[in-house]
Amino acid sequence: MLKVLLKKQIAEVFRSYFYDAKKNRMRSKWAIAAWIVFFAVVMVGVLGGMFAMLSLSLCGALAGAGMGWLYFLLLCGIAILLGAFGSVFNTYAGLYLAKDNDLLLSMPIPVKTIMAARLLNVYLMGTMYAATVMLPALIVYWVTAGATAGRVICGLLLLLIVTVIVLLLSCLLGWVVARISLKLKSKSFITVLVALVFIAAYYFFYFKANLLIQELIRNAGVYGAKIKGTAYGLYLFGRIGEGDWLATAIFLALTALISLLIWRVMSRSFLKIATSTGNVEKKRYVEKTAKERGAFGALFAKELGRFASSANYMLNTGLGILVLPAIGVLLLVKGRELCAALGEVFAARPGTVAILLCTALCTALSMNDMAAPSVSLEGKSLWIPQSLPVEAKTVLRAKASMQLLLSAVPMLIAAVCTALVVEETLAVRLLLVAAPLTCTVFTALGCTAIGLRMPLLNWTNELAPIKQSGAVLIAIFGLWGLTVVFAGLYLLVGYKLGAAPYLAIWTLAYAAASLLLLRWLDTKGAAAFEAL
Amino acid sequence: MLNIEHLTKTYGEKKAVDDLSLHIRPGEIFGFIGHNGAGKSTTIKCAVGILNYDAGTICIDGKKLADEPLACKRALAYIPDNPDLYDFMSGIKYLNFVADIFGIPAAVRQERIRKYADLFELTGDLAQPISAYSHGMKQKLAVISAWLHDPKLIVMDEPFVGLDPKASHLLKEMMREHCDRGGAIFFSTHVLEVAEKLCDKVAIIKQGRLVKVGTMEEVKGDDSLEEVFLELEAE
Repeated sequence: MLKVLLKKQIAEVFRSYFYDAKKNRMRSKWAIAAWIVFFAVVMVGVLGGMFAMLSLSLCGALAGAGMGWLYFLLLCGIAILLGAFGSVFNTYAGLYLAKDNDLLLSMPIPVKTIMAARLLNVYLMGTMYAATVMLPALIVYWVTAGATAGRVICGLLLLLIVTVIVLLLSCLLGWVVARISLKLKSKSFITVLVALVFIAAYYFFYFKANLLIQELIRNAGVYGAKIKGTAYGLYLFGRIGEGDWLATAIFLALTALISLLIWRVMSRSFLKIATSTGNVEKKRYVEKTAKERGAFGALFAKELGRFASSANYMLNTGLGILVLPAIGVLLLVKGRELCAALGEVFAARPGTVAILLCTALCTALSMNDMAAPSVSLEGKSLWIPQSLPVEAKTVLRAKASMQLLLSAVPMLIAAVCTALVVEETLAVRLLLVAAPLTCTVFTALGCTAIGLRMPLLNWTNELAPIKQSGAVLIAIFGLWGLTVVFAGLYLLVGYKLGAAPYLAIWTLAYAAASLLLLRWLDTKGAAAFEAL
Repeated sequence: MLNIEHLTKTYGEKKAVDDLSLHIRPGEIFGFIGHNGAGKSTTIKCAVGILNYDAGTICIDGKKLADEPLACKRALAYIPDNPDLYDFMSGIKYLNFVADIFGIPAAVRQERIRKYADLFELTGDLAQPISAYSHGMKQKLAVISAWLHDPKLIVMDEPFVGLDPKASHLLKEMMREHCDRGGAIFFSTHVLEVAEKLCDKVAIIKQGRLVKVGTMEEVKGDDSLEEVFLELEAE
């Protein structure tokens, strides 16, 4: 039973990898292989590569000083942070808000089996992220310090313990969110607010990490002794990676005990939370004359309403709304020092500072991809725009406009701040506003087009189209790729042109690509939407 | 009002609708019956412009659906078999959304929303999110949204499913009243007693092909509609 449920959930998560919704049939073996390779490159190549570099920078010094335990303690901490805090709200939605909860609960399936299947799904997702830190960390350690049987076995058990801790933390926090959200009125916004606090804390430690790590390596002996003296448990935890059997046994037993406790707490409330509609007071209807809107206005307001109604949607596709102005403010405060430092580094290639700042803005823009899952989010309500007297191109333009509005205003703030700070000619400053803004237009239209090309309409949990769909993945990494090309080309050859002509070329290219995309959306895209 | 000529729709190798022709005139309540998978919903979805079709022509109020889809859609309202509405909206927001799309003036929509919401006893729940609605309440909201722009043609797929007896009765009255004012209604149903009492004309579809069509008297003669339907199914 558990296997069947798990298979169903995994199939839903990875559906777009195996199934072509556009053609309404399974993908070919080659297409499936290509998707899996793409996914592997992103997970192993990008994330795994990043943490492999971090492991390499730490392992030699710490393992050489006989403090492999501190190395493992650090990387396990990062793995737990990455796995757990990033998925708190996904856990809540995945465990309690799945649309097929009622269906499954009506079947002769024990509630605990349904919960276990949901938990296994959460476990696999958390493991996927935690493993991108832990596997490189273990391999680097085995290569550096030597791979004895004890180290390998205990190392793999450490991976297991870390992934279980990730699951436990996710569940605990997800459960807390569930309990709180049952009492809240403006659930979406408060959930977003709480999530932002988590994310801010996460990034605070992330940005401080480099300094902290350097400090730790310099004074490893002092910190190691302190941890050993005051938090012996942490020392023991790190010892697992070094192949300490006793520490491994203690933490395996402890993890099992805590898992049992959490399971008992959650299984007692799962049914109640999963089937609850909350105790929010009923809103009283007061008749008032509505403001009339045109078809586009109505569709646009609908898209904004959908975005604001879901904490998952806002958090996973709209962080750029806050991050972009934050970058702008940060640049106003620290920008001149940063520009001066960068200017020294790239003195041989004038204009590089402006290009790098523009690259940073466009990279931050990739956090806004709300149009990418928008077509998929129509889901079973797709009949509404298809049966109403409204052109498909208007529906698609409303989706793109939603992203454009939510991205262009923050981008304008960030770009103006950048232009004020950078010491360049007026032309470069103006183009520093124009290029990111045209990139914003291009991204909004591009995300809509990708979402249309890769629709995922049959979902039971909105996280599937919002977080786990191929469209979102391509939207994010596509823009990253483009920004790498943008900065790389300048450093290679573009600097010979100078920043102003280079930015002007990209601005024109984005504008031309946007026009082409708009034309595609209005014609072939509209036809594709009608045929969904 | 609705003319379907030689409609053919295939899914891969399977012909879901095969050379089907139907004519629904103003003032008619036209029932569409058939077993599960016979092709009723496919025909309906083609008729309202949701599904493309392989062959045939569909005309609504004298206009070809293929040539003037928006004009045709402005003349009709559609209620699907499962009222999957925008769960993130409140009832009143959804009704205003539909009214905006159809360009209904504020005063007119306010009056109609008040009238139909009161009739279906939904007024008190209009501020609630649709996600909190029961299936029946969603169905009532879908009915109200369909009547909101006073369409010439109303196309419904199993409209009575989920409605309580009072709301079902009300809907039947509204259907009759709509046709008495010159409108037309085309709906599918499995409830043969309802079709027998309510419809002026009826069509029976089997494996995508029309097997019988005509006025209720022509189709059933002295038998009940259920007997005729079961006989045709057995053939």
